Order: sequence, then structure tokens, then C-alpha cells
Amino acid sequence: MNRYSRRRPRLAAAAVAVIAIGGVIAGCSSNNNSNSSTSAPTSSATTSAPATSSASPSTSAAAASTSSCGTKPGVAATGTPIPLGGIVTDQSGTSFTDISNMAAAYFACVNANGGINGHPIKYYIETEQTNATQIASEAKQLVQSDHVVGIVGNTSIIECSVDSSYWQAQGFNIIDSGIAPECYSTPNSAAVNMGPRYSSDGAVQYALTQHPSKIVFDQSNVPGTTYIAAGPNALAKAAGVPITDDATNVPVSDANSVAIQLVDQAGKDGAVVLNFTPPDALVILEAAQKLNIEGNVKEWGCSTPCNTDFLAKSLGSKWNGKFFVNAELTPPDPTTSPAMSLYRAILAQYGKAVSGGIGSFSQMGFTEAELMVKALESVTGAYTVTSVNAAIKALKNVDTGMLCQQWTYGSYSMHIPNNEDYTVTPDNGEMVIAPNGGCTQISAVDPQIAQYRSEAGTAPSDPTSSS
Amino acid sequence: MPSWSEFEPFIVSGLALGGVYALSGVGLVVLYRATGVLYLAFGAVGAMGAFLTYAMIQASLPDWLAWIVCILFGGVITLIYGMIFGPPLARRDPLVRAVATLGLTLILFGAMDLLWPPTGGEVRSISLPTDNGGFTVAGLQVDWTQLIGLCAGVVLTVGTAAFLRYTKLGTAMRAMANDREITATLGVPVRRVEAAAWFGCGILAGIAGLLLADLVQLDPTTLTFLVISSLAAALIARLRSIAVTFVAAIVIGVVHDLLTPITSLTNYRDMTPFVLAAIALLWVSRHRTVMTRSREEA
Repeated sequence: MNRYSRRRPRLAAAAVAVIAIGGVIAGCSSNNNSNSSTSAPTSSATTSAPATSSASPSTSAAAASTSSCGTKPGVAATGTPIPLGGIVTDQSGTSFTDISNMAAAYFACVNANGGINGHPIKYYIETEQTNATQIASEAKQLVQSDHVVGIVGNTSIIECSVDSSYWQAQGFNIIDSGIAPECYSTPNSAAVNMGPRYSSDGAVQYALTQHPSKIVFDQSNVPGTTYIAAGPNALAKAAGVPITDDATNVPVSDANSVAIQLVDQAGKDGAVVLNFTPPDALVILEAAQKLNIEGNVKEWGCSTPCNTDFLAKSLGSKWNGKFFVNAELTPPDPTTSPAMSLYRAILAQYGKAVSGGIGSFSQMGFTEAELMVKALESVTGAYTVTSVNAAIKALKNVDTGMLCQQWTYGSYSMHIPNNEDYTVTPDNGEMVIAPNGGCTQISAVDPQIAQYRSEAGTAPSDPTSSS
Repeated sequence: MPSWSEFEPFIVSGLALGGVYALSGVGLVVLYRATGVLYLAFGAVGAMGAFLTYAMIQASLPDWLAWIVCILFGGVITLIYGMIFGPPLARRDPLVRAVATLGLTLILFGAMDLLWPPTGGEVRSISLPTDNGGFTVAGLQVDWTQLIGLCAGVVLTVGTAAFLRYTKLGTAMRAMANDREITATLGVPVRRVEAAAWFGCGILAGIAGLLLADLVQLDPTTLTFLVISSLAAALIARLRSIAVTFVAAIVIGVVHDLLTPITSLTNYRDMTPFVLAAIALLWVSRHRTVMTRSREEA
């Protein structure tokens, strides 16, 4: 009796402690996921920051010349450096450093070929771990210690939300890859990508062209799901197609039940559209495949993160013509345009730090650096915060070679300059442009797109983005 | 409320999920009974082994060799931890011993992040040959890996129970669970018995890691923290009964998946292990209080 009495409280204490520890661990895990996500963000989930192709730079690309990235081929810039900065998420499970590293590669190429009127670019990259205090501190460090005159390449799960007011107060116009709503809804941030909401719009819009009886839209259960789902809901309702919104905890640890639920909800004539990072999208799709229920719906769709050859290879031929993915940037595989050749050449010569190689992330970094260089080249006089950011704001109808449309910054209350996209589909291990999946405008049924177009109009097509 | 036919497929998927929880839960209970240590690094050890397997397969080494390395890694790393930290912590509070294993968890977690950092899009995965083929239940294809996961739980439960009951080593482990000091006084080689328990638990971690990497996904966070559901099952069994652990794990898996089609509850289904563990512990606590009072009144 005595012995039992001694042991019971000890066991009870241990049990309580373990539940507490488990709760803390689960909380940490959940936080980590929701913050991340990602790229492959786990939460990124919400990030539509796209993923990477498994392809590597081709030998022909390596042979292509990088001299066209500067005005004086082969002449290294030796003038006073122009300091620029960027903040990217780099944490367990979520890393966007390929974007800033590709921008750095572009700047290295520019510096080796004359720089900006003889001035090399000095690019400061700060990494963050989804910590608002850290992010705010890094922004101040870039401005106050590094004295940067421009911000480019920012790609972070929460940076836009945290720093938007600060950048505005300091007079910066940011060129970034957007994830958080503030990357698109504020006057001083313009992204080269479409972000999770508009990319999901694109995926739903393509799904609607197949005339499904219903759409089930599933995304990572992280903050911001309502904002993202608002776009797909508006599109489906305008088309008179019922839509169900789901939110799944990430990382997905019960993919079988998720896949069953999605298929049950959609029905045999319905469509399932996912907004997840590649790892989570893949486990759901693979679960459906293993359970042999992938054919129980009319079609599957996904926002940009699913646009990776790796995913296409992993899924196999069962998904050919069954799975459609929104693509925010020009697919690199079939394109041999001058911009795409330069991108491949820079990646091959200067992009050793770009771990993912050819793919959406490095394309974004290339495009952001390209836009910044165009802005810097237009500056007359000293390179100051005022002159550089005025030049950024003045960017108008720029041919990037990477987007469907010409890219414009402008003095608008919000910025969604990339609002026309592709749709790709797996084809024996590669993502190829889907039937009728060429450049298509995101529908103005999404009120945010309508508002942007009412301010900025519709940008002309980029004639340099196709081969 | 969904109809019964809508629930059917979730029972199948829940059984598969519960099976792998059971696999881990049984390992945790066996080690706890022998050493008094709640091994929170169970998931991280399995995850690290799975990543080693992935690396070896990527390096074009034979698959079978990679699987063996995964399982042996679990056994060896757990044995090393047990031999180094087991004795100095043996007299410490159970909570201290449990928290110490979190240190190993964090080291392995950091190592995985360092060796296999996020790549910006590439997805890592492991496929076992048993993924191909299977049979259909309730309109769902059940592959052999899922069946192996469930069967492994059953076999390990029965096998471990028999081992503890009918072998000398098992008897020694049970004796140590009751009183380590007296068992040592009786001449039982405590260190050797503990080493066997650590190694066996590690082997189970390796097997679970390999299966879960295939069944769930090859992700350090997911695999490391999947052990939480198994912990709940072990707690429901009060870290004693292997059979109850197995049943609890299956119930957790099935209830978790059955909540999926219920719209109002689906977003809360990840709470299933904690809710069931809390209910079970409260029930056990109340039941024992009533029993004790009845005995005292008698």
C-alpha cells in the first residue's frame, strides 16, 4: 500500500509532464509548420513561392555568354559600390535563399562586366527564421549600418507584414517575391511572382475551363487562409460552381485521410485544387495514387509550388493530363529566348550557391535583379535612397523575358504586376504547358485583381518571354 | 453527419495509421519498463536512420543494405546513448531522464537539418518494394507496406509480451521495472539487461522510421514529432501494458481519421492523442480513487 502510494503520484507527475512536453513539442512543431511551410515552404504553404525544377543548367547554357549582363563586357567595375539589401527566410523546412543567391549571381555578373556606370553592386543578404523582432532588426541594420539604397529579392513568410510601414517611412520601394498579403496590397512593394492567392486563382480558373460540377480547394492551415481562399471562392461563385474550402494541418501526417476526404467532397465530376508546398502536395497526391482514388475525380489542380519536374517524376504517368499546375513564370524547359539563355549562363557561371538550379526560385531572383539593374541604370547623378527608389517606381512596361506581361511598378496603392500566367501539366516526368495553358489573364472576378487593373490597367504582353 | 459508408474508408486508413503508432508505442513501453526512461528521441532516431537510407539509395548502394543500415543505426545510436547517459541518470527523477533524451532529439534534428537542408523545392522520399501491389477494402487500395505496418504492430506486441514473460532476459527486465536495486542485489547483470533494452528499442525506432518515411513522408519534423501520438498511447497504458498500448494506438489512429469527414471537428483531429490520453488518465485516476475508498470503507 505504501509502495503503491509512493509510485502513483510519481507516475501521475510523469504523465502530466509528458503531456505538457508533448504539447509544447506539438506546439513548436505546429508553429514551425505554419510559419513555414514551406518551399518549399512549408507554410509556405501559403507561399506560392514556387519551387524548383530538378533540371540542371545545360551545357549549352554554360557556353552561352554572360557578357550581355553589363555594359562593358569583361571589364570589372571598380567604382564606389552601390549597396543593396534583401531579407529571406532560411529555416528548417523553408528556405528561399535560392532567390537572393540568384540575384547575387546576377549582380556578380553585372560587376564583372562594367557594373552600373562603373560602380559595382554590393548586395547584403539577411536571413530570418520567421521572427518578427529579428526581421524588424534586420531591416534597420540594412538601412542604418549597411546604408543600402535599395531593397531587392526579399522573400519571406512574414517580412512584408512586419516591415511594410518601415520601408514606406524610409522611402524604399521594394522589388520582391511576395507571400504575405502586404507584398501585394501596399504602395511600396511589387512582386515578380503572383503569390499564393493569385496563383490559386489561376489554378481554379483553369480547373473551371474543364467544367467540373464542384471545386474543393484545400490549402495549408496557416494564418491567411481566408485571404487566399477569397480569390478562388469569387471565381467559382461567378462561374456558378459550388466550392468547398478546406484547410489541412502541415506537415501532412495523415495524407490518406486527407486524400479520401478531398475525393469524397469533390465527387466524380468535381475538381480538387491544392495550395501546398511541394512536399505536402506530393504526399497528398501520392496517397491518392496509392489508394487508387486519383481517378475518382474529374481533375486535380495546384498552385505554383507544384510546378517542379521532381514532382512530375515522382507522380508518374498516371497523372498525365489529369493534374494541372499554375505557373507564374515562363517555363524554362522549352524556352530559348535571350533572357532565358542569359539566365542559364549566369546560373552556370555565377550561381554555385543556387542549390536548386533551374526553377521558379532562381527565375524570380534573376528577374528581380534584372529589374533592379534597369532601375539603377536609369539613375542620373548620385545613387541615394531617393534617386534609386524613384527610379524603381518609374519602371514601366519592362520586358523581363520571364513573365507573360511587361512589368510595371508605378505609383499605385497596390501592386500585382504579374497577373497573367501559364498552366502546366506533368508529361512523363516533366512539366509541360497544358492544352490551352498559355498566357492567360487572372480573372478580374477576384476583387483584388479588379482593383489593381482599375488603377494600373492591363499590361501589354512581353514579346521576349517566348522562344 | 456523414453516413456509415462515408466513414468506412477512414476506418481502413485509421487502422494503417494506428498500426504505425503502435509500433513506436510498444518500443517506448518496453524501454520504459526496463530502464525507467521515457525515450523522447524515438522519432528523431528513426528519422535520422531514414535519411541515411535515403542518402545511401541516392548514392546507388543496394536498397537492402540501406534498410539494414537504417535499422542498425537506430539500435546502435540508442545503445550508445543508453550506455553513456543511462548509468549517471539512473538515480535521477524520471522526468529528468525523459528530458535528457530531448537533448539527443535536438542533436539529431540539427544534424538532419545540416546534412539534408531544405532545397527550395526538391522533395525527398523513400519507396519500398511493398508499395507496389496490395488489395482493395471499402473501395480503397491497401498496399503491402500499410499491411506490414499494422502487422508489425501486432507481431511486436505479441512477441514482446512473450519475450518478457517466457525468457530470462525478459524476466530480468520485468524485475528491473519493479525494483532496480533489488534486482541487482539478486545477481542480475543490470547493465547487460539495460543494454539489450536500449538496443531493442533502437531497432524498433529504426524499423518505425523506415516504415513511416514511406507511409507518411521523409521529413525531419514530421518523423521526429510523430512519436507524440505513440507517447499518448503509451501513457494511456500507463507505460506498463504493451497490449493496452497497442489497442490505444489503434484507437487513436482510427478516431483521428474518423473525425476527418465531420466538418465541425476535422480541424481539431490532431488533438485526438492528447484528448484521449487526458480522458484515459482522468478515468484511471478517478477509478483508482473510488476503488481505494471502497477498500478503506470495507
